[in-house]
Order: sequence, then structure tokens, then C-alpha cells
Amino acid sequence: MNKTLLKKFNSLGPQTGRWPLLVAAWLLTVCAYAQTTVSGRILSGEDSSPLPGVNILVKGTSTGTISDADGNYSIDVPSSDATLIFSFVGYLSQEVMLAGRNSVNIVLATDARQLSEVVVTALGIEKDKSKVGYAVQEVKGEDLVKARDPNPIGNLTGKVAGLTVASSPELLGRPGVFLRGKEPLFVVDGVPIQSDTWNISADDIETYTVLKGPAASALYGSRGQYGAIQITTKRGSKDRRGFSVEFNSSNTVEDGFLAIPKVQDEYGPGDHGRYAFGDGKGSGLYDSDYDIWGPKFEGQLIPQYDGVYNPDETYITTMAGGTVYEGHIEPTPWLARGKDNLERYLRPGWLSTNNIAIAASGDKYDLRFSTSYTYQQGIVPNTQLNANNFNISAGFDFSPKVRLEANINYNKQYTDNIPDVNYGPNSMIYNITLWGGADWSMDDMRHYWQEGKEGVQQIYADYTRYNNPWFMAYEWLRGHHKTDIYGYMALKWKITEELELMGRTQINTYDILRTEKFPYSATSYGREQAKGDYREDQRNLFENNTDFMLTYTKDVTPDFNLKASLGGNIRTFVYRSSYTTTDYLNVPGWYSFSNSLNPIRSFNFEAPMGVLSAYGYIDGSYKGFLNLSVTGRVDKHSTLPIDNNQYFYPSVSLSAVISEAVQLPEVISFLKVRGSYAKVGSALTVPVIGPTPSVTQSSSTQGQNPLLQNPLGYGSTYQSPYDGPSYQNAPVYNTALLYNNQPAAFYTSTITNPELKPSFSSAWETGMDVRFLADRIGLDVTYFESLDGPGIYNLPISESSGYTSALVNGIKTQRKGWEVTATGTVLSNPDGLNWDVMVNWSTYKEVIKEIYGDAKNLDLFRQVGERYDQFWGTALVRTPDGQLIIDQTDGRPIPLTTLNGNAKRNLGHLNPDWVWSIGNKLSYKQWSLGFQFDGRVGGVIANYVQQQTFRGGRHIATVEGTMSDARYADYKGVKNMIGEGLIITSGKPELSDEGVITNMDELTFAPNQTATYLQDWISRYYNTNEGNLMSRTFVKLREVSVTYNFPSTLLTRTFIRKASVSLIGRNLLYWAEHKDIDLEQYANGETGSAIQSPTLRRYGFNLNIVF
Amino acid sequence: MKKIKTFLVLSACMLVMNSCIDFEELEKNENKPAQVPPSLVLNGIENDMYEAPWSLGHRQNQFWCCNYNYYGTNEYWSNASFASFQSLRNIQKMESEAKRTGAPDINPYSALGKFFRAYFFVRMTQQMGDVPMTEALKGLENPTPVYDSQKEIYQQVLVWLEEANADLKKLDTENDLTLAGDFYLGNDLGQWRKAVNTFALRVLISLSEQNDDADLNVEDRFASIVNNPSEYPVMIAPKDNMQYIYNGTTNLYPTNPGNRGFDKGRYNMAQTYVKALTDLHDPRVYVTCNPAESKIAGGVDPADFAAYVGAPSGENLADMTVKAGNGEYSFANQLRYYGTTKGPEPGVLISYHELCFNIAEGINRGWVPGKTAADAEIYYKAGIAASMLFYDLKDGASVTITEPDEDAPLKTVTVSVTDYLAQPSVEYSGNNATGLSQILTQKYISLFQQSGFEAYFNYRRTGIPAFHSGPGTGNNSTIPKRWLYPTTEKNVNLDNLNDAVSSQFGAEGDNLNSELWLNQD
Repeated sequence: MNKTLLKKFNSLGPQTGRWPLLVAAWLLTVCAYAQTTVSGRILSGEDSSPLPGVNILVKGTSTGTISDADGNYSIDVPSSDATLIFSFVGYLSQEVMLAGRNSVNIVLATDARQLSEVVVTALGIEKDKSKVGYAVQEVKGEDLVKARDPNPIGNLTGKVAGLTVASSPELLGRPGVFLRGKEPLFVVDGVPIQSDTWNISADDIETYTVLKGPAASALYGSRGQYGAIQITTKRGSKDRRGFSVEFNSSNTVEDGFLAIPKVQDEYGPGDHGRYAFGDGKGSGLYDSDYDIWGPKFEGQLIPQYDGVYNPDETYITTMAGGTVYEGHIEPTPWLARGKDNLERYLRPGWLSTNNIAIAASGDKYDLRFSTSYTYQQGIVPNTQLNANNFNISAGFDFSPKVRLEANINYNKQYTDNIPDVNYGPNSMIYNITLWGGADWSMDDMRHYWQEGKEGVQQIYADYTRYNNPWFMAYEWLRGHHKTDIYGYMALKWKITEELELMGRTQINTYDILRTEKFPYSATSYGREQAKGDYREDQRNLFENNTDFMLTYTKDVTPDFNLKASLGGNIRTFVYRSSYTTTDYLNVPGWYSFSNSLNPIRSFNFEAPMGVLSAYGYIDGSYKGFLNLSVTGRVDKHSTLPIDNNQYFYPSVSLSAVISEAVQLPEVISFLKVRGSYAKVGSALTVPVIGPTPSVTQSSSTQGQNPLLQNPLGYGSTYQSPYDGPSYQNAPVYNTALLYNNQPAAFYTSTITNPELKPSFSSAWETGMDVRFLADRIGLDVTYFESLDGPGIYNLPISESSGYTSALVNGIKTQRKGWEVTATGTVLSNPDGLNWDVMVNWSTYKEVIKEIYGDAKNLDLFRQVGERYDQFWGTALVRTPDGQLIIDQTDGRPIPLTTLNGNAKRNLGHLNPDWVWSIGNKLSYKQWSLGFQFDGRVGGVIANYVQQQTFRGGRHIATVEGTMSDARYADYKGVKNMIGEGLIITSGKPELSDEGVITNMDELTFAPNQTATYLQDWISRYYNTNEGNLMSRTFVKLREVSVTYNFPSTLLTRTFIRKASVSLIGRNLLYWAEHKDIDLEQYANGETGSAIQSPTLRRYGFNLNIVF
Repeated sequence: MKKIKTFLVLSACMLVMNSCIDFEELEKNENKPAQVPPSLVLNGIENDMYEAPWSLGHRQNQFWCCNYNYYGTNEYWSNASFASFQSLRNIQKMESEAKRTGAPDINPYSALGKFFRAYFFVRMTQQMGDVPMTEALKGLENPTPVYDSQKEIYQQVLVWLEEANADLKKLDTENDLTLAGDFYLGNDLGQWRKAVNTFALRVLISLSEQNDDADLNVEDRFASIVNNPSEYPVMIAPKDNMQYIYNGTTNLYPTNPGNRGFDKGRYNMAQTYVKALTDLHDPRVYVTCNPAESKIAGGVDPADFAAYVGAPSGENLADMTVKAGNGEYSFANQLRYYGTTKGPEPGVLISYHELCFNIAEGINRGWVPGKTAADAEIYYKAGIAASMLFYDLKDGASVTITEPDEDAPLKTVTVSVTDYLAQPSVEYSGNNATGLSQILTQKYISLFQQSGFEAYFNYRRTGIPAFHSGPGTGNNSTIPKRWLYPTTEKNVNLDNLNDAVSSQFGAEGDNLNSELWLNQD
């Protein structure tokens, strides 16, 4: 389709007003000529639904008609050789030569360019996409509701170049969301909200608009430093009846492991091949807090946890290595009763989301009511998550000049139990995979109370550190109850043709109650007395943004349009939280603060904040092809020092639609170049907050962010969205209840700074949007550079000054990178196969530019000019050619720190080299198929699951290959592990801080001959970052959906307008160097992985019906 | 120009709205206090002083060992920390809070502040050597302080201790009762005076290798304290000990029923300590240790000192693990140390028994004019008796020996301290090298799980008792002579650090095996 043609058809619009004339003309011609009647049906290429209202014109005449409600048409043509032109707003026009046919069915393809013409930019301002001077990418909400992730933002994975979503494998886990490596702002209908991403209702989203750089989001002031994800909610119906009802149901099961640690089930718990159960508290042989380095399962007799206790009998057990144990438990055969315990414990997950939305519109109003219910069954027994969402939006036109709009979203998430998976006895992976032996069977643990001690004492194979997994699932309960409400009301008044005033007020609030029932006899880090506990973590956030904007639009000359706007915003914010816990319980099973054994401990926190802003922009457009936009915003921020709290954040962007101005070769259908610059700051706020900052502060915890500390010492720290004061710059005492529960005060170790300024980012970007072959191929390329800083920096100073750091404006890093989105229509055949492809690719790198003053070193290793994400990790001493140096006195490799306490080695960099995705959409008649592969390439991480499964003796590799013999020898009490490497036969090695031997010429070597136990070798080798280093590269088959759209012919006699059913799959395949962890969640420069739940495939079906 | 105009217009808009938010109020963090009574700061400082029993340091003191490489090793340290400077900052704040609340220039907090300064600087210089002092603690006025020599630090420490004693004397005489929040000595200034002077004797003894330095005047100072109890009162009985008492609810003894399951089997006793006891047929071994299981199984009488075996601290860890698992080594007395949350004994920082041995050593070295070997012997025996009493051991006391797994009683023995003292090996042999060795050995035994690194510091100074080293020691099987400076100093104060290192150790650099000035002949 060339441009002139398009214009021609666009110009048809006004002619439709002349219908009576056309009809009259047609009536006249009927009499004059011999006629042929052609009929047929017109369907939408988007979803194969019938298209009513399509213009059909006989080419070269004024004869025409329109299709009826079912998409049927009939037209008389002067000859059977005529050509028909089909046109409809939002669709590509099509010419069809009749060539003698009298029936023509046609599928009209959507015009991607037409639909995406308007894009929502910062503050909800709509702009013509072709004029925007910065990188913006849009995703349609409806594309994300079928093969869906439990988390709405998880659905955006791979959809936008430069946006990385790091989905969590945990139930209710918060995904990391990173735009160009930083966390963006969430905005709903033009107003920022605090989002943990769970409070967004996928079914109510019209579009997600990703503003990738600060130039795009500079109008949000200090909150827009790192771009924004803007959500536009659905509004009233476009249905001609004035209403429509839509029902969407998505149901998936989670089954089949994608990533799960492979463990050995050949050796049981114990140490150096020895184990005997005494009381599970240490009186046996390694019967408490054990590793899985015990005896091989050979059916030999060993006292075990479920053996008969006979106080009058003394049983003597001799271990394979000769160790003798005497005890009173009758030995029983030592067998791998617990093979595949984890798989036997977990169950399929289930996710069901049902949404019903009613939309209506009339002359003066539009309305939409929507409600969703999501139920998610966790893979851990007795865990689940419920979410209800209500969304109501309404618009009312008082007059053509005055319009009121409102929207409110209520979201409730609730569950009586979600699992806690991190490193510790609170986690099933810790208890089953890392430190659980195969000596006990999962099935035997199902009844977990000891007889006569129900409610007081669990049954397990250890009574010191570990917990029975069933007991944890059914008795150790963590409730989560969160209510989110956000909404706004806006009044728009078109004062004159040129002047519009908008006033808007918004609220955004959440309430969280998290509870933990910690049963008697459960233990975790720091709660070894095992007397139970009850805790409540309550949090409340309330924010109001009230703003106005006066906009002036004017065509100054026919070639020059101007739009200018001036506005202001008041943001008021308050966050309150409290945290209360018992200090053990008096009565088992009664979870109440009045049941605390020792005095209860209770903490509170309040953080109010206010921000005043004024902003404005000027957009100028010359002949529609050259567009300049200048924005400015002043924020006065209460978190900053009083004399220094007002800052100006500008941006400027320029775009030129070359294809409008210059005659380009036919092959290029569209070409735009763009460039932008912005300087935005952020002011002493933190994006998330943990439980109430507690009084556990002491000298040793200083330096940690008190807002993110865990008050318990075990379990994961639940972080909720905050974006409030960090109080970093407050000269205060930290207090702690120390000796005899008396408060102790420690003055802040940070020197505060009354001159402190916000942390700034100055970014520029340039890009190009080019389309070829009548838009069949599109390419959008962006290059950006962001100079982050000077930031708000805790400048380390000599501790001998009395302080560990001074808060200053310092440190600059630079991020630069590329983002490429390519789209292509491989096949386009209205009657046959259609195939669209979209490729997203992005890369960025962060480099240290400046530190503070003359400082050239960020720390001992990283210097100005080098990558920021270098991984200097723990490692072993090696020769320059990479051979391990073995300590000949004990046969083990030597950690760097043994020779130089400061030494570390550069193990690579942490961020991926690039991130990519390929999405495909195929359609054939009523069928369509979508699938997406995506992944990341490059970067390294230390695999902590591998580290701990090796050290604990559980890793499958310890019974395979070369380790297998050494392991059996361990069990027999024989040192048989001769590690490959060199011993030093003369000289003393000297090691640089960078882990390099500096005096190789003074040393002589010989091959290692010293044997040690495999257990001791592993405990050294795998206790380093080096030993567990793995590539961050992975690929996932992210989603597959096969949809069948019921033909309207089938539905005509029903009350159903449209219906489709889809088979869907998510995360179906996963490739990575090691599949004991799922790398997905690590996208933020973590040096090491965490303990995580296994990830599973998800598949099911989706049903969509419109009434 | 456009920008400026925009900015002006925007600013004008903001002025209109400015009144609705109280920016000054909102900036403050009302969740935490900006001012506190000095007693709260004192509480924090006293907590910072505390050093726990059964810590890694006591493995390096060779009292016990960890045989489980997952939890730890018996290897020695690398870097020390400057964390004491954080405590020193709080000392400054404590003093200024006292002044803010109306205290005169000399007040209990300022007097204790001098003592605390001495205490924390000694802690740091004993570990590393030179540290910043005169230019330290000035915040951003001097973010890169120059290091003071170890000698200068000791000179200043002795001045602080002198002044602390004088100030406390004045305040005690005036019956000043304003001290609060002191959990070590119950806000009793007289008791603090004893602690200060007792500590001063520890400091002076630690300078035994520099006793001839005219600027320090170690011997005279030592003598003037020992000979002038009214001007320099010292501890006179175990009740004067400066110690941390565990209440069993909010402050638990470090080993308690909660961690028995973790420690059981993983930690065994060290040869250096156990052998020091068994060589002298010391009944304290019955109290602090369980007999080795394999010895009992092999028929050795639980009361036989041969039943008590500690592991050589430098043993290859894999071997120690296997031997410990086979019952070849003694464990810490499980019933005593893991039986309760209150623990069997307080955590001792500065004690009367240590004082006795320090005075005995001073006399043995001839530092105290007028005091003879008989005086040394009195202190020596008083120290032993006080240490015995610490374990409730006195003539006629009975001790039940238990086995480690189920705490089953194995045998009850009756103790005679008199007989113990009468042994030729224990009987004080006079102000000679053997006598000195006896004093130091008894001091080492008495410091079991007490007073931080004092046991190691005394070994480093005197070589008594001999420490064991081997593959399990790390550092090329050598026991280090000092700690490295904190890594952060390399980043933030490199020039001054380099100057201090080269002036102390020359080409050896910041090395674990370099000798401190303190211990140089």
C-alpha cells in the first residue's frame, strides 16, 4: 500500500456523509446499465470477527455500500471485471479484482500504524507516535491475558526491548522490573502509583506504554529518573449496541519441573560416612544439624529416628570406617527410603483467573465495570493465593466542552499461608534438598505430631535444626492480607478551541497485614528454644496527588503547530507501619500477643512526606515532520535539606519524519530519526520498604539500610512499595534493646550533609524508526547514554575519623546501550497463512566515570573507567596458567585469603551482555498460533544452590564420575581424594590483592600426591565463588498459545458475539548451564543466587467470550 | 532564555502552593531520637566492650577447637577492624550528652570516657600496632588521620588511666550519684576506680618488653599502683570483677541448650589448655571438660587425668574431625556449658585473678621495690584460689564428672586445692624463670573463655604456654604475630597507612608475621 493510496482512502471519511446522494446515484444507474451483483462477507484480520460498517466502493465510480452487522455485503457492479475497494478505519484498505467472481469474502488486515498512532506519554498526555522524540514501546493489554503469568508484569517478559522482567519463582514473589538496568516508575492513567506489580489487574489494561528513558518520563520529576511503565485502563464500550459484556477465563496447571536441583539418594546424613540416631539433639553420632555425608545406603543396621528406644539395652554399631557407637535405639536397615523426597512433597500448582467486564457508552457517558478473581494454588502443600479485583471507570460529558473522568481500582490479595523460601530452616528447600537425607521417607512424615504431644512436638529425623516439611506446611503459617486502592477523578474543560484546563486528584493507598504463626517445636535461626511465636507486620501507605494542567494548542501558521502546557502537582504521602512479636509462647498453639512468654516486642514507624511540583512543556511541530518538545519540572521535596530542596528537571526532544519531507526510495515506507536529552534527579527516597525498622540496631548492623532490615534474623524480608523518605540524612541515634532489654543508643556512623542535593541522571538518546515494503518490515533502533550522578553517595572515609562514611553528592556511572525492535510480516494472506515476527534485542553496560574528589578507586578492585558490575569473588590460589595450588599438609586447595587477607579474583561481570526475544504470531483462518522464545546472554553468577548441595554432600556429582570412588572411600574411612594441582616444593608464595602469585620465579612445584577426604576437598573447593561460577546465559520457551476463534456463522443465532478458546503454555522449556536454579530472577547484578523453589511448566486453556 | 522564563513561571506557581506543606517538619526523622540521655549511650559502649566466651577468639587462644569445617576452623585471622573507632565516637557523644544535660566538666561520664578511650585504643593497638589517635575522631575535619606510633598510644593511654583514676576519686569523694545505665559495676564509682587501676596493671604488664623505655616509665608506674592502694585502689576480691552477667532471658549465655545440638561433636577441647591442666593434675579439668569417650570406653578412670585429651590446635582439620567423631578428644563439659540459658559463669572482662597474676609477674620481674618472692607467691596463690573459686572449687568440694552425650554421671571426685598447690610443679619456685612460667601458665588457665584475646597476647609476649601450630593454623602453619589493617584503610587512607606500615615493619609491609613494637626486645 503506497502512501498516496492511503491518503485517498482516508479522505473517504467525509464522503460517507453524502450517503443519500450516493444512494440516489446508484438508484439512477440501476436503470441505466446491466448489473452484476457481488456479495460476500468481511472479517477482521485481527480476530476473524465480522466487520460491520466497512466501505465498499467500485473502483473508478461513486458506487458503494457498507457491510451489515454480520459483516455481509452485497453490491451491484457494472461489470464482472470491476475492482472493489474495501476500506475501514483502522484497517488497511484492499483492492480486489472480481475477475468474473460474484462472491468475494475478504479479511481486512489491521493497520498497525493507524492503531498505534497515538501514544500516551508522561502525565497521560497523548501524542502522535510518529512525532515522539524518544524511545517508547507499547504492548496491548489483550495480548497478555491468555498465556498469562500469575503476575501481570511477568507477562511483559520479552515484549519490550530494554525492559527486563525478573520473575520470581515464589508464590507472591515480587518480580524485578528493570528498564535499562534500573527500576522504573509505575503509572496508571497518568498518575504514579506504588506498585508491587500484584496490584495491577491484567484484564483491565488497554495498553502498557513503556517510556524507556528519562526524557520520556522527565515530566514526573524526581520519580521519573529511570523511565516509566504506564498503564492505560480500559474504558467504555465501542460496541454499537451501547454495551458489551466480556468474559475471560484462564486456567492453567503448573506441572513438570523446569529447574530443580539434582541430588544424590545413595548416601544418607552424617559426617565422613558415620551416622547414628541418639535423640536428634547431638547424643547420637552426627544426629543433629547434620550434613549428608553419612553412610551409604547398603541395608546395614544403623540406629534411626524411628527405631525402637530400649533404655535397658545397649546396641553397639560399628561404622564402615571403624567408628563405634553405643546407644539405646535398636538399629534398623539403612535404606534410601526417601528417594525423590522433594518431588513427592510438591504438588501441581494451579492458576485460575476469571474476569467479567461490562462496558457501556452513550451520548454523554462511558462506563466500565470489571471484576476478576484469581486463585493460585501453590506447589507447596497448603499454600495458596487469592486475589479479587474490582475496577470501575466512568466518563461523563457535561457538555462537549466539559468532561469528567474517574476510575477506581480495588485489589485484595489474601492467603492464610504462603511458603517462605530462602536460606534457612523456614524453607522446604533447606530442609528437604540441601540438608535432608534420603534416610526418611516423605510419606512417613505426613503425620507429624508425636503421639501424646500433639500440638507441642513434631516428628522428624533431627530435633535441632531441621523441620518436618509437612509440619511446616500445615502448622507454620504465614498469612498475607493486602488491600490496594487507587483511583482518580479528573475534570477536563475545553475553555476555548485552543485552551484546555484539566484538574485531577488521585489517591493511592494500601494496607498490609502479614501474620506468622510459628508453632511449638519448630526452630529457625535465632529461635532455637522452639517455643513458638506469633507476629504481625502491619503497613499502611496513603498518597494523594492533586494536579492541574492548562494546555494551549494553536496552529500558529498552517505549517507550524504549537502546544504548550503549564501545570502543578501537590503530592502528600504518609507511610505507617508497626511490627509486633511475642518472645516465645506460654501456651502452645495459642497465637496471641497476650500469650507471650517474655514481654512482647513491638515497633512502630511513621514517614510523612510532601512534594510540590510545577511543570510545563512546549511542543512545536513544523509541517508535521519536524517536532520539538521541551519539558521542565520543578520539585520541592521534603526529604531534602530545607535550604536545598528545590530542583529543576528539564528535557528536550526532537524528531524528524524524514519520509514526510524527502522523497525516499519506494522500498522505505517510513523513516523517522529522533534524539532527546534529559536531566532528572531523585531525592533521598527508597523504592521499597521492609518490616518496621526495628530496634535491633547496634554497631555491627550499622551501614545496612535500616529500612530493609529483617527484624527476625530468619526468613525472607518482605518488601512493599514505598517511594518515601530514606532518612539517610538524619543526624540521629540508632537504638537497640540490649543488656537486660534496656535501650542502648549508638550515634549514626554516617556524617550527614545539610548541603545535600538530589542524585542526578543526565541522559541522551538517539533513535530511528524505519519501515520498509509498505510497513511489512519495521526496525526501531535506539542508542542511549545515561550519566548517573553525581548520586547521593555514602563516601567511605577512614573509620578512624569516627565515622564510616559521609553522605555526599558523588559517584558517577555511565550506562550506555542499544535497543532494537524489529517487526516483520513474513506471510500475509487474508485467506491463508499469516505470520508476524517481532524481535527485541537490547544491551547495556555500566562503567564507573567518577567517584569523589580525586579518588580513582571505588574499592580495592574497581577503578574509574572500568565496568561497575565486575565480580571480584572468593577464589583459590592458582598458578598463572590456571593450575590449582594444593596445600601438601592437608591435600586441599588454598583459598586466596589464606595468603592475603584482602585478595579476591575477578571472575567476570554480572550483567548479561544482551537480552533478546523472538515472538511469533501465525494465523490461518480461524486459527492462530503465538509463541515466544527469549533469554539473556553473558554474565556470571555464583550458584549458591550448587555450593550448598556440594558442601552438604547432596549434589548428584558426588556419586558420579571421579568423585564417586572418593566418596565411597570417605565412607570406608579412607582418604582417597587426590586433587589435581601442584604443591609448592620450595619457596613461599606471595599473592597480590588481585589474587596473582607475584613471586613465581622463587617457587618450585610438583604434582600433588596428598590424599584427603572428598568431603574435606569439597568443603574447601566449593566454598568459593570460583567453584560455583556459572554463566547467566539462558533461553526459555516463554509462551505458546493456540487459539481458535469461533466463526461468527456459528454464533449468529446465539447471544454470543465473539468467542475464542486457546490452549496455552508458559515457560515450557529452559536451557542453561546448570538447571538446579532458574536464572530468570537474577537480573540486577546479584553476585550469588539464592535458595529458590523449583520452577515448573505451566499449561492450560483460556476462554474468551464477548456477549 | 526560554528555559529561564519557564523556570520563573514554574517557580511562581510553586510559591502559591508553598504554604500547604511544612517542609521543615517533614524532613526530620521522628522515628529516632536526635538526643538521648548519656546513660543510653553508656549502655551501647559497655555492650561494645563485651567479648563473649566460646568465640572464635578462644579457639585462637587455644582453649578449644572447631573440627567442623562448615562452621569454622582453627585458623588464625587476617584483617582486624577499626570498629572500636565507632565506640570511640559514641564515647564523645556520651560526654557531650552529659554536658548537654547539665553535667560539670568533670563528671562520671567524662571520667569513664577516659577509661573507655584507653580500653578501646589498647584493644586496637594490641592487634594492629600504630593506629590514628591525635588526628582521629574529628569527622570530616580530618577524614584521613595520620597514624600515631604504638608507643605514643601507650603514653596517652597511661595518661588517660591516670586521669580517670583522679577524676573518679574526686567524684567518688563528692559522692556523685549521676552515673546511670552501667550494668558492669552498678554505677559504683569506687568499683570503677578499682577496675581502672586493675586495667592499668594489665597494660603495664603488657609493656614488659618495653619496661626500660624512659618515656613510659613502666616499672615505676607499676610499683606506684601496687604500693599505693589508697591512691590507686585495685580489685581486692572476685566480687570486684568487671563482668557480664547473663540473665537467661534477653541475654543468653553463648552456649546453651539452644545450640548444644549444633556444637555437640563439632567443637572439642584444645590440647594447649587441657594439657596445661592435666600436666598439673588440675581439678579444673573436671569442671570445664568431659573426659574423652574413647578413653572411658577403653577403661580409663574418669578421674584419671589421662582421660582428658585436647586436640592439637594446628591439626589437619579432616583428621581432627575423624578423631573427634571417634571420641578421641574431650568436649567442653556439656552439662555445665550447655545446660542452661543463664550459663554457669559470667563473661569476665577484667578480673581479680588476672590482677593477682599480673602483680605476681611484676614482682617476679623485680618491678616492685620492697616486694619479695614471698609476696609474689601470695599473689600467685591468691590468683589460683580465685580461679578455683570461679569454678566453685575449694578444699572438700566435690565434682561430678559426666559423660558428654547424655550427661550421665561417671564419677564424683573430691577436690583439694591445698594438695594441688602443694605439688612441686605448682609450688611457686621463686622470682626466677620457672616462677614466671608458673605464673603465666596459671594465668593462662585462669583466662579460660575470658578477657578477649588476653591469653593470646600473653603467649605472644612471653611464649608461655607454648601454642600448637600446624596445617590447621593457616598462615603457612605459623601463628601470626598481629592482625592486618582493615582493607577499607587501603581505600580511604592509603598514604597514612603506608607511612605507618613502613615505619613499623619496613619492607615486610602489612604482614601477619611482623613483630609489633610492643613485643620487640
